[in-house]
Amino acid sequence: MDAPVFIVTIVAILATLVGLPWMIFHYITQWKKNSSITVEDENLLDELHALARRLEDRMNTIERIVAADSPGFRPSLRNERDEDYELTRTAEREVQTSRPRRRDH
Amino acid sequence: MTPRRTRFYLDKQNGKFLGVCAGIADYTGIDVLLVRVGYLLLNFATGFFGGFGILAYFIVAWVADKKPRELDYEDREDRQFWQKVRARPGASIRDVRSSFRDIDRRLADVEMHITSQNRRLADEIEALR
Repeated sequence: MDAPVFIVTIVAILATLVGLPWMIFHYITQWKKNSSITVEDENLLDELHALARRLEDRMNTIERIVAADSPGFRPSLRNERDEDYELTRTAEREVQTSRPRRRDH
Repeated sequence: MTPRRTRFYLDKQNGKFLGVCAGIADYTGIDVLLVRVGYLLLNFATGFFGGFGILAYFIVAWVADKKPRELDYEDREDRQFWQKVRARPGASIRDVRSSFRDIDRRLADVEMHITSQNRRLADEIEALR
């Protein structure tokens, strides 16, 4: 057997038998370290996430009500997830354009 | 064992055969078609390697549990949130904090607007006297 072929064979065997498991275990340990949150933390995160979403929904409602009541109020950042986002915006614009006209009279 | 959001489950509802590929897709957030094609390509590339890939599929299907009903996601946003938690819990905790901060800021805006409006109304009432 030629020396280069022999070396290549050895390297290939070493790579598959040692390198590959090493790499796999390296990534497994890294992944374990990354995703090690306890059951309590997970439940807490679940609760906080749900709370944040509920509060955001309420905030959207409040902003819509306030914006409908007073045209001077501009919500700084609207949630794009809202389905009727465009609808409320056009409604606000109508309110805004109608208000000054009433003042003119 | 209590059901956990960060554990791997089989997804039999969306699965084609035993739900392993669909489970991987649900766990990682990778598209289910990509997972399936990747699995098949890996099998073909290794020349089925003595049926190891197929055996692994059945072992995973045997070891992993079916996904409990209470862990169903509310909507797509919920699903993406938990996929992110599995990949990087720290980042998703920071996400929740930033959404709370956003709500706080918006609430402060509304509060400021309403209080300033009330002051204007009080001034007008004062002027009428």
